[in-house]
Amino acid sequence: MTVSVASYLRRRWRGPKYLLAIPAIVWYLVFFAAPIAFIVLYSFGTKDSSKLVPVDLSSLSTKSYSAVFDETFFKTFRATLRISVLATFLCVVIGLPVAYFAAFKVAEKWKAVILAAVVVPSFTSFLIRTVAWRIPLAPNGTFSKWLVGMGWISENGIQILETPMAVQIAIVYNYLGFMILPLFVALDRIDVRMREASKDLGAGRIATFISVTLPLAGPGIVAGVLLTFIPMCGDYVTATVLGGAKGNMIGAMIASQFSGAQNWPLGSAMAILMIAAVLLVLIIGFVITWLAPRVAMLAYPIIQIVRRSIYKRSVARKQTVKQEFRTKFEVLPKVLSAWTVLVLVFLFIPILLVFLHSFNYGGSFTIWSGRSSTKWWGELFNGGVMVAVLIRFAVVIFAALIFVRINRRRESFSKRVLSLVMPLSFVFAVVLNGLITEWYRTIFDFAGIGDSIRNSFIAAFGATIIAVLIGGMSGVALARRPGNWTKFFMATVFLILVTPEIMDAIALATWFPRIKAIPIVGIIFTNGWGPFNGGINKLWVGQSLYASAVVTLIVRARLSGIDESLEEAAADLGAPPGRAFRQITLPLIASAMVAGALLSFALCLDNAVISTLISEAGSTTFPVALLGATRSTIKPFWGVGAVLLFVVTLSALWFLAVILRRGGDSASKIAATFTGS
Amino acid sequence: MSDDKKQLKMLAPEGFREKLSRRAFLQGGTAVAGFALIAAACGGSDSATETSNALASGDWSRVINQSSGTLAMYTWGDYNDPDLVGALAGSTLSVSMKVDYYASNEDLITKLAASGGSSGFDIVVPTGPYIPQMIEKGLIQKLDKSLIPNMVNVDPNYLAQDWDPTNDYSVCKNWGTTGYFYDTTKISKELTTWQDFIDTCMGEASGNCAVIDAAPNYCGMWFWANKINWNTETPADLDACEKFLVEEFAQHVKAFDSYPSTKLAEGAYSIAMAWNGDARQAYVRIEEAGGNPSDWKWVLGSPNTELWMDNYCVAAGAPNAEAAHAWINWDLIPEISIKDLSYHGYHTGMKNMSQLISDVAPDLVDGDMIFFGDEQVATMQTQLITPALDRLIDILNKSKAKAGG
Repeated sequence: MTVSVASYLRRRWRGPKYLLAIPAIVWYLVFFAAPIAFIVLYSFGTKDSSKLVPVDLSSLSTKSYSAVFDETFFKTFRATLRISVLATFLCVVIGLPVAYFAAFKVAEKWKAVILAAVVVPSFTSFLIRTVAWRIPLAPNGTFSKWLVGMGWISENGIQILETPMAVQIAIVYNYLGFMILPLFVALDRIDVRMREASKDLGAGRIATFISVTLPLAGPGIVAGVLLTFIPMCGDYVTATVLGGAKGNMIGAMIASQFSGAQNWPLGSAMAILMIAAVLLVLIIGFVITWLAPRVAMLAYPIIQIVRRSIYKRSVARKQTVKQEFRTKFEVLPKVLSAWTVLVLVFLFIPILLVFLHSFNYGGSFTIWSGRSSTKWWGELFNGGVMVAVLIRFAVVIFAALIFVRINRRRESFSKRVLSLVMPLSFVFAVVLNGLITEWYRTIFDFAGIGDSIRNSFIAAFGATIIAVLIGGMSGVALARRPGNWTKFFMATVFLILVTPEIMDAIALATWFPRIKAIPIVGIIFTNGWGPFNGGINKLWVGQSLYASAVVTLIVRARLSGIDESLEEAAADLGAPPGRAFRQITLPLIASAMVAGALLSFALCLDNAVISTLISEAGSTTFPVALLGATRSTIKPFWGVGAVLLFVVTLSALWFLAVILRRGGDSASKIAATFTGS
Repeated sequence: MSDDKKQLKMLAPEGFREKLSRRAFLQGGTAVAGFALIAAACGGSDSATETSNALASGDWSRVINQSSGTLAMYTWGDYNDPDLVGALAGSTLSVSMKVDYYASNEDLITKLAASGGSSGFDIVVPTGPYIPQMIEKGLIQKLDKSLIPNMVNVDPNYLAQDWDPTNDYSVCKNWGTTGYFYDTTKISKELTTWQDFIDTCMGEASGNCAVIDAAPNYCGMWFWANKINWNTETPADLDACEKFLVEEFAQHVKAFDSYPSTKLAEGAYSIAMAWNGDARQAYVRIEEAGGNPSDWKWVLGSPNTELWMDNYCVAAGAPNAEAAHAWINWDLIPEISIKDLSYHGYHTGMKNMSQLISDVAPDLVDGDMIFFGDEQVATMQTQLITPALDRLIDILNKSKAKAGG
């Protein structure tokens, strides 16, 4: 690249290179580095339950670490890693055929359908889906009785609940979607000509898959593994709900050290060793994936010989035989489609059960009483208010529909304006309903769930805004102003991604009381500001950490794919940096920001681990309230709440997909947007 | 305490359970609800007394203090009639309730301590022995007794306990005990003692049993079986307990579960240690799941077992302390208290309980799981907070690790 005016101008751009990343740096220092540092400190202390913070730091020792390596605790470590590694492997094995089928074997519109079917279950509450697995697996349940009746299993029924097997099934189920999407995006990007070239050069289907498709899908597999393996290791919800004593995972054990056992030093030591273990497994995994092709290269001469002999033999055969061979292989798409259907059914089983059991007559969500009833829906909703709200919605949207119809004929507005009318009317209906009736307060008879759903949205919205702002800015800085600071910053971002949620949760839960005395900050996190109480502010901080790291990576990836010539051109044409940023950079990263926002929102809405530890009365979110309810009998109205949450999230998604489609994006592009790659 | 108990025992004679179907229980529940509504709607303390002659004789107090705003309660799972922490509280007291749940007293203390007086909770429900340390750490505030005139309805036997002799900080919510619950179709032997429970868990029901996820109960089981005071601080006892539970017992446990009722009905366990109220709810769940409740048997642990009492307290820094007092006071109205009792199945400590039950809730089922005779109460011991508690928690902790696959 020649030295241009632009680079000269850029050199005059005042401020350090990490200027845009400063908000993120401050945020991570205060709410990640410092709290984690205290956890490290606690791990060297000793338990003292007479204190408010039950740690004695007067004599530091490594006692807690040696306690972790004690055989009893270490066993849980091994079990956790075993479950997570196996589940990640199963996710790849189950997900790859589905992604392959969706990417190569179906028409564009079916791609959209399959992807939607994979994504949709992930937007139902993670916790309720996990709880829903108790329904088909219950030894006294309908499914179990049917199996016993058919004589396929013994009298005792299905004996899977409260075992590692139940955790294994549910964990694969919970994370499968996060594996399929990145795999699909990676496969879908493969230039079809590469595969065709491979076939033209005489490679069979299997050879093409192994030596062309798979290596090209590598980044997708890596992304999928990272997206699934790390959260699995820190997952404590699944093990708590389904695992019993035998399926215990380290996340649950760490959490119980902090609350039940009040042994913070031991819990801290466990959390730190857990990060170390996760990193170790990842490093081993990457060394293996790095080594494997290189080892295979050593065997290359042998492979060549084998290939030649195969080729010679196949040439020697008659053409007809080859034809037969081909037709036999046409079975493959059928097998793949059957597999895809099976996987989709698997993904939807718990959702359907949640819906069904929200109509359960009995008093327990997991036990079907044999009678259906809408009483739990009635319990949750105030019928009159609900009908009024729905009517207002219908009227506004109907009016908008008529408006669009009439103006489309007259062509008095541009199509772009018209396409926005429907979404805007939807927003208008929400605002109108909220302004005139406070319906969100009165629609729920049972205030607890209504409040928790509203808190979930407030918390997720706030955290998403923070994540998009600080993540977006640091993403731009990373891509456009790299320097020495990049390494440190990326290391921090990576550390945030690999830190199990439970550790962040504990670090923050013990951090907030410490900063209570600081003048303004203290007030924000105790009394809150404006309409937002202290608990909501804490949730924003807690949920924004992981989300902002994700946004950072997405924005950086998007920008580094586009070279700087456009910004340079703008600068050459005399645009000041601020204007170039507004008119060039911002539109370029807009789609990445939307993707990041979506992913953040979904993650935050479902966040149970951090939220449980830091939430307070008045900021209880749906997952937190539900996790509390799992300690005793879960009433069917939790199913009603989950269905409601699901419908609202789904309409938001649909809303977005419509906007993206208007923008001319294909199904694959939309999927890529949703996964952020 | 004496005469009441005998009468109460007679309220629930043997075979009572089999005679009354679960449906009758549910209908009984609604009847009580309807009655309580009338009582609440009448509002004033004098008009409500007219509803029953017998009730008038007990000179009950039925003051209802109107309040406003939201009221946040932090309590044990499913521990109040949903009406009382929902719609009825709204219509009677004009407060909107929010309820969150914890699983152990330690969870409660951690949560309150971590937020240092800004947890936002108004009412908390600690078990008696934990109250002194909560006072000491400044986690709960003094009650304004002038706002709780209905406290006179509580049997003096359940007031002025060791942990709060003047009831300045707490008032009895309800009390209960610990026993176990087993499936007679899966376990052939007739079980009566804690030793039977331990033997069955390690034998016939190995890998199919659940124990309460609380250190004092879990370790208490062994102490009671071996006739050792469960408040022991003797190192030798604690060592022996740890050796047995961690090395020999833990591997047989299927789950550490404080509320096994739903999972019992799902068929997850064939025997489970349970608090009496939860075991009573299990009967309802088992029937819902299409099982036969008469296959299941509840056993009060012996030779000794626990007596615990949970108490209403107001959290330090409660945003709406006034509403908290109003609600606690309301819950001490006899009809409301019995409505709660019918739901959760624990003795709420009202005076003249036998008379109250026969007047307000004559259809109450499984009374023998709620009310206990003198000889039974004599075998129940209250937990003390001793330095040994840390050790017990440690034993539970190690047992959990050991039980893992």
